[in-house]
Amino acid sequence: MRKAYQTDHKLQVISAIKANDSETLNSIYRSNYPKIEALILKNSGTKEHAKDVYQEAFLALWQNIKQNKFIPKSESSIHGYLYTIAKNKWMDVLRSQGFKKTIVASQLHHFEIKDEENNGIDDDILKDKRLEDVMLAFKDLGDACKRLLRKFYFEKKPMNLIAEELALDSASTRNKKYRCMQKLRQIALNK
Amino acid sequence: MDINDISQEEFEKIEAYINGQLSNEDLLEFENRLKNENHLATKVEDIKIVLTGLETQTMKEQLDEFHNELSSNQDKTVVNQPKVRRFNWKRIAVAAILIIGLGSFWLFGGSSNERLYAKYFTPDPGLPTTMGSNDNYEFYEAMVDYKQGDYKGAISKWESLRNLKPQSDTLNYFIGVAHLASKNEKIAISFLEDASKNPEFALKNDAHYYLGLAYLKAGNTKQAKVNLKKSSSENSKEILAKIE
Repeated sequence: MRKAYQTDHKLQVISAIKANDSETLNSIYRSNYPKIEALILKNSGTKEHAKDVYQEAFLALWQNIKQNKFIPKSESSIHGYLYTIAKNKWMDVLRSQGFKKTIVASQLHHFEIKDEENNGIDDDILKDKRLEDVMLAFKDLGDACKRLLRKFYFEKKPMNLIAEELALDSASTRNKKYRCMQKLRQIALNK
Repeated sequence: MDINDISQEEFEKIEAYINGQLSNEDLLEFENRLKNENHLATKVEDIKIVLTGLETQTMKEQLDEFHNELSSNQDKTVVNQPKVRRFNWKRIAVAAILIIGLGSFWLFGGSSNERLYAKYFTPDPGLPTTMGSNDNYEFYEAMVDYKQGDYKGAISKWESLRNLKPQSDTLNYFIGVAHLASKNEKIAISFLEDASKNPEFALKNDAHYYLGLAYLKAGNTKQAKVNLKKSSSENSKEILAKIE
């Protein structure tokens, strides 16, 4: 029944990713970073660039899996996917005018990544001005609201559990959540 | 859009709709309203973006934590870069003694050949690793190991490929350089000799250069000269001038 086990395992990975399971995500993060860092260091980038590009790629992977735009068939397809997105993103950076100015031509001599077609991967899923505004706004939201919304929307805990943790009844918890959301939307609209 | 125009009840309804949590009856009613009410679809879109944004930002913060764990683990393994946060005289004294010790070994210890070798040897930067070329996947996977300094991993992968293609100059060349980088100059020599035999080999020049360095390290100055003379690189000329 090896095959059945594998299918099961595959589904587990996907649902763990969708549920923001921190252990699963951390292990994917950890095991794929070195290759991508090596790619970027080799192609005129710094460790700081590597981190930024990798995290953007990782977020795109995660969102695409959540929205069923990418359904990984195996763990190695996750690796390949991340690598391709990171590579595309790094190509964009290298091509950008701002980057060309900060780097002397001789350093670009070793620039060797080949441009390939992007295999239909949607790596722009998070490129949306309003989305960026909300993300910035969330940073500025007070700690109490951040913690509350994190429990609801990131840890995806059930309402009664959150109410219990806050020692509130469920009506007040719902109201608190609503007010935090209003606050977040307000800050985002003023960005 | 005025943000205050979403009441708590409305917000909860929209959220339940987005999450697919409405009962059949409520869903029908909501879909009807979507058709008839002008701003409802915009509101749904707005809430969707807010939900995605807040989850993504939280994930981003989570990734920073993952990254910090990653780099703190890396710091632990890199013994050569202790972070001296406070001015720690004892540590500095120990470091100074170590530097003086290593420095005098450098000056008086190693032979002149070894010094030349150490000055000039840097591993070949390797070939670009690209996605998609399936036939060569294993070769490039080993190349990634190589570039990360995992010479042992690279050698074992390349050697298994070499069993299939023993005459590949490129394989022989990189296996050779990887052995040289892991301080096995004698094994490196045999691979590099093979690689440099083919007059058509694209990296012939480099093969002779590394072969020269390998002989230098092995203490065979004569063979080192022979090979460095066959390589036209600037470094080869510099080394030759110093051993003449």
